[in-house]
Amino acid sequence: MACIERASPALNQILLKLYSAEKPVEIDHHLYEFGSFKYHILCQACEPQVAYLSISTPPLCPGILTSNKLSSYTIELIKRLCPGVVEIAEATREGYQLTLRLNLTKIPRRNDYVKVIKEISTVHSVILSSQLKEILWNFNSDDAIKGMHKPIKLAYNPREPFFVIRQPPRIIAVFPIRFAEKSDVIISTAFFQELVDVGSLDKYTKAPPCSWSAIPPPELRGEAFEDLSTNGGFVSFDISAHHVDGKRLDKTVWNLLNFNAYVRFHVKTTKGFIQRRMRKRLENLVEVLHHTESEQDNEQITRHHGCSCTKGLLVKSSKYNILKQRWGNLGRKLKRIHFRVKIQGFGRFRQRWLRLPKFSSSRGYTKLG
Amino acid sequence: MASTLRPYLTCIRNTLDAAMCLQNFPCQEVERHNKPEIELKSSPELLLNPVLICRNESEKCLIETSINSLRISLKVKQADELENILTKKFLRFLSMRAEAFQVLRRKPVQGYDISFLITNYHCEEMQKHKLIDFIVQFMEDIDKEISELKMSVNTRGRLVATEFLKQFI
Repeated sequence: MACIERASPALNQILLKLYSAEKPVEIDHHLYEFGSFKYHILCQACEPQVAYLSISTPPLCPGILTSNKLSSYTIELIKRLCPGVVEIAEATREGYQLTLRLNLTKIPRRNDYVKVIKEISTVHSVILSSQLKEILWNFNSDDAIKGMHKPIKLAYNPREPFFVIRQPPRIIAVFPIRFAEKSDVIISTAFFQELVDVGSLDKYTKAPPCSWSAIPPPELRGEAFEDLSTNGGFVSFDISAHHVDGKRLDKTVWNLLNFNAYVRFHVKTTKGFIQRRMRKRLENLVEVLHHTESEQDNEQITRHHGCSCTKGLLVKSSKYNILKQRWGNLGRKLKRIHFRVKIQGFGRFRQRWLRLPKFSSSRGYTKLG
Repeated sequence: MASTLRPYLTCIRNTLDAAMCLQNFPCQEVERHNKPEIELKSSPELLLNPVLICRNESEKCLIETSINSLRISLKVKQADELENILTKKFLRFLSMRAEAFQVLRRKPVQGYDISFLITNYHCEEMQKHKLIDFIVQFMEDIDKEISELKMSVNTRGRLVATEFLKQFI
């Protein structure tokens, strides 16, 4: 699923193609991805060892990150991505926030090149994760003194914002859930109940505790009405220091950013599963109705002269009718064949030898068994 | 719950056995037309009293008989919202493919989830007791299928939730 994988599949594919091309290739691609990400990849034939990758992303939190430029922390993290291969270009392409200069000759030639290119393709996840980390670290000290922590609205996908509330020593992430169809709401609600159940097991004490409620949690009181009107309820995760410790920080941040997409993917696949199962069940139910073969084997059909006391079957054998129809059609086609060359006596030959066999009718006199 | 199922199905079976005495009867109002009288309901003398068999408040079966046709309408139990949507989806799926079943009605009677229409022609082509067996078996299969679907959806949800939470560990 493209929106959950860290590496952008389209960018990965283009970079791999560029790297493995035998002759110099000119590339000038514009890509648009989930989360309103824009990429521009440029590689010119005159300079085949170098590619320029420009990136543009809307701010994760428009209220806090007012400047369109990336912060120094984000730039620092990007520099750590494959240091020998990726450099930040001095001149940024117009309309983009960042332009990277990729030196393709510095990518190792052995099996590691796939790993390196995949790491470069994760640049958008690095930018997003760093933005969320900064938001979580920098909080308004005035609010902390008063004891109020205003919810921060984050919009990875503009139509599905979520909230983050800092309440030391924990952070609460609240996801308002909205679906267009009622059936999606019910499937997702069943999923959230399972999520809460599994989260309460001993085995998953290390995972952040989650809860679901149909009404907005108290932490969101005072927020705009359109943000709080939902049909799928609210899912909350309690993130503690343990979940943002060291390497876990990246995973936690990425999982939170993609939670909505994960839920929608699950609902979509569940609907597909229900459809497949219904189709299979239909075949079984219809098979019961049309089942005749085993009944024909078991019954002895005896027809007597003058009357047809055939033991009726559940359904008139459809196979017999279909076969009879097909033979009839074939026979009519043969009769209509117009031969260009007229051969004397062929008509009689056709009538005598090319006649189609007649099947015995239900009123015929056939003794079986 | 299971204790009321057998008597319920037996009652339906016996009622169908008595009601499925259909004969050919051309339409009294239009010449050379032959219509199922239970659908038209234009001539009261051709209609028998409908029979309503209720297992409980949410499960019932309505059997309406006429001289040349019989209509069976079923209301399936729906304990919660998930069963509700699964039942609606599944029965609508079957109704849309009614031609595969021959005796299934494309649209259920109002107030019910699924309806069958059996005419005298069906009784001529098929054996009566086999047809009744099919209807009763269908009712059992639907209940079983809805329960299995619900369990599968919940199991899937649990597995997906487990995989999601594992990423935090």
